[in-house]
Amino acid sequence: MTGIEVAIDGIAGPAGPMVEALAFAIEPGASLALIGESGSGKTLTAKSLVGLLPPGFGARGVLRVDGREHPLVSTDASWRRVRGREVSLLLQDPFTSLSPVHRCGPQIAWTLEAKAGRRLSKRELDEAVATRLAEVNLPARVARAYPHELSGGMRQRVAIAAAIASDPRLLIADEPTTALDASNQAEILDLLRELQHERGMAMLLISHDLGLVRGRTDEVLVMRHGEVVERGSTATVLSAPEHAYTRALIAADPALALEADHTGDTARGLGHDDGADAGGRAPLVAASGVVKRFGLRTVLDGVDLSIAPGQIAGVVGESGSGKSTLARCIAGLEREDDGTIAFDGRPLAPGRRSRTPEQMQIVFQDPYSSLNPMMSIGAILREALAVGGRRPDEVRALLELVGLPVDAAVKRPAQLSGGQRQRVAIARALAPRPRLLICDESVSALDVQVQAQILDLLGRLRDELDIAILFISHDLAVVRRIADTVTVVWQGRVVEHGTCAQVLDDPAEDYTRLLVAAAHRDSTGRTPVG
Amino acid sequence: MTASLGAVGVGFRSGRRMPASIVVCLVLLAVVLLAVLFGPLLFPDATKQDILSSLMPAGSPGHPLGTDELGRDILALTVAGAASALVGPVCVAVGSMLLGILLGTLAGYERGPLDFAISRWTDLLLALPVLLAAIVVSGVFGGGYWTTVALLVLLFSPSDIRIVRAGVLEQSARPYIEAAQMLSLSRWRVMFRHILPNVSSLVITNAMLNVAFALVAFSSLSFLGVGVPPGTADWGRQLTDSRAIMFDNPAAVIVPALLIIVVACAVNLVGDWLGQRMTRSGGLA
Repeated sequence: MTGIEVAIDGIAGPAGPMVEALAFAIEPGASLALIGESGSGKTLTAKSLVGLLPPGFGARGVLRVDGREHPLVSTDASWRRVRGREVSLLLQDPFTSLSPVHRCGPQIAWTLEAKAGRRLSKRELDEAVATRLAEVNLPARVARAYPHELSGGMRQRVAIAAAIASDPRLLIADEPTTALDASNQAEILDLLRELQHERGMAMLLISHDLGLVRGRTDEVLVMRHGEVVERGSTATVLSAPEHAYTRALIAADPALALEADHTGDTARGLGHDDGADAGGRAPLVAASGVVKRFGLRTVLDGVDLSIAPGQIAGVVGESGSGKSTLARCIAGLEREDDGTIAFDGRPLAPGRRSRTPEQMQIVFQDPYSSLNPMMSIGAILREALAVGGRRPDEVRALLELVGLPVDAAVKRPAQLSGGQRQRVAIARALAPRPRLLICDESVSALDVQVQAQILDLLGRLRDELDIAILFISHDLAVVRRIADTVTVVWQGRVVEHGTCAQVLDDPAEDYTRLLVAAAHRDSTGRTPVG
Repeated sequence: MTASLGAVGVGFRSGRRMPASIVVCLVLLAVVLLAVLFGPLLFPDATKQDILSSLMPAGSPGHPLGTDELGRDILALTVAGAASALVGPVCVAVGSMLLGILLGTLAGYERGPLDFAISRWTDLLLALPVLLAAIVVSGVFGGGYWTTVALLVLLFSPSDIRIVRAGVLEQSARPYIEAAQMLSLSRWRVMFRHILPNVSSLVITNAMLNVAFALVAFSSLSFLGVGVPPGTADWGRQLTDSRAIMFDNPAAVIVPALLIIVVACAVNLVGDWLGQRMTRSGGLA
């Protein structure tokens, strides 16, 4: 009896049952994707398989690894024999899952001695670590580096090397690429697939993103509210979903929906490409030759950007390309070292003082930290309304504008979901009636469904309020869905600029082609030809 | 990983009942507070000397804890001493907290030369040994209860300033502060309406710890004879006055000494618990 068999009778938390009974099996070398939005119970399921449920939570059931039976209710001592050797867990965030005070080598080596059951010599350890690093396509010198010296993608590779160091039979990858940008996501997932095949290791991939698992896992399990709503082979579920929820997930995923658009030749996203450069209207924002250095590092190296009134201007690039710094310079949150930024024809001095709240507002990436946790939603919005000289009783209208219930006003940020908080952040930004809304990766931290709702909201707001939007994102599919124009930024320079269709369908520059290809491969799981 | 998981876990824990140790501490502190409020009614002439009934041991009729060399009733003296033991330290903690909030917030939010000036000032104060400085200043200016309070406020403020400054620095980098800046709110509004509530758990915990430290500092100064004038009801003073009669009436020394320790511990424990509770339910992640 080889392979992994899981039979969970149920997982309960302090607030009652969280996950219903579910069972699945994974053959050696095969993979299963567990899909669902946050709160669906997918992470609880994963954690119950390594005995790492949060306090107050309990699971009943059994995990069978190659016929060896491990009850899910167990002591910490017996879990320690399972963790690492039978089952390894790879976490979402490579920025926090590695210890910042240890070099990468020892972190990979930690489980090796336990596995060997004896002390290993320094040479043996070094060799084992170098082998693991080579397996994840990293040079051996990475062993001596601290995590902060590595990029996000490299850190996640180190985390993978550590997770597979003791040759587990099952690897649980919990949203392993959510924190990474598009080109890294594809590489990490392909690497995991490769490692699995080589080692005959089973994999349970947890994700909120259906598009990501296409072509990368054998089977899919879709969870909602703690229940499995659909299961089957990945290809079948994606091409012929049976449950309404699965269909909604596919429709909400810009990349998957995009494919449907192309094949079905239906309407495009929200942007009106034809009005792209909004001919005739003088630009609302004109940035030219913007240079920003942090110490010796030049983050922006002479960037030009113009946004017409009422236009949605997309700026895309990988993490570290300088796109957020550009947005922050325009907002006045960073001071540019050189170049000019003009608003409505008048040049603005660097910094926040030369700008008014009525000119522009910003919506940040992280809806958890962009609202003051000690203030009620009502207080947050009233403050912003007062700035725009508006009456405090307009809170209600503001909440309705962004599609929030009126009783949200009396709640604290912690009582709202991520999507609701982002709506509050948008409402706050709209309160002074700005003419430009800057969205700095504003939908990146959200589930695909919520992401789609927020994108719809932004498109609607643009039409209703006639505001311009500067939309910063690493996600080409999202930008395609909403933007009129696209500016591609790479290493602090503008690589390509044009209408959404021009740039994304017919890229002129090699780098843009690379980005488009990575995004495409990401949505289909295939490596494009040429 | 899902934030909702963490949130449920936290909600579960903070719903837990108050631990027994904290209940005991709160009851103890309540008793001391009652002594401060009603002591003068109970023992109107606590410091009255009566040479005829001096050095009576504990358990003597009319004097359950006995009397000291000057014939003062130990029970009455100890109850009356609660005022000086609690009022001073609380004033010191609150005073240095206010100073810390003002200077710490300014330093952390404004940065630049102001931060430099305030930080070097705290470094300077931290370099001074608290008790020694207090002794020297009291010696030069003649001491007195409120002089000591003012002096301790100054000497205790560096820890508050530093803690507030660190909290403000950490909060200032958060997007919600940048969002407030995008609304062009005044710096005072950003500092005191947005940032301060988010560092309040740190500030209040530290203030509680300072109450305990100040109680010990006060008692030490009184013991050394520079805190309160002779003849005043004060636990530290009692220790120094009754040293010589330790073997005639041990209660005269043991009772105030024990009270200093117990009250300081109780305040510390309550402060710790309060800080943990606020961090859990409040915004500081």
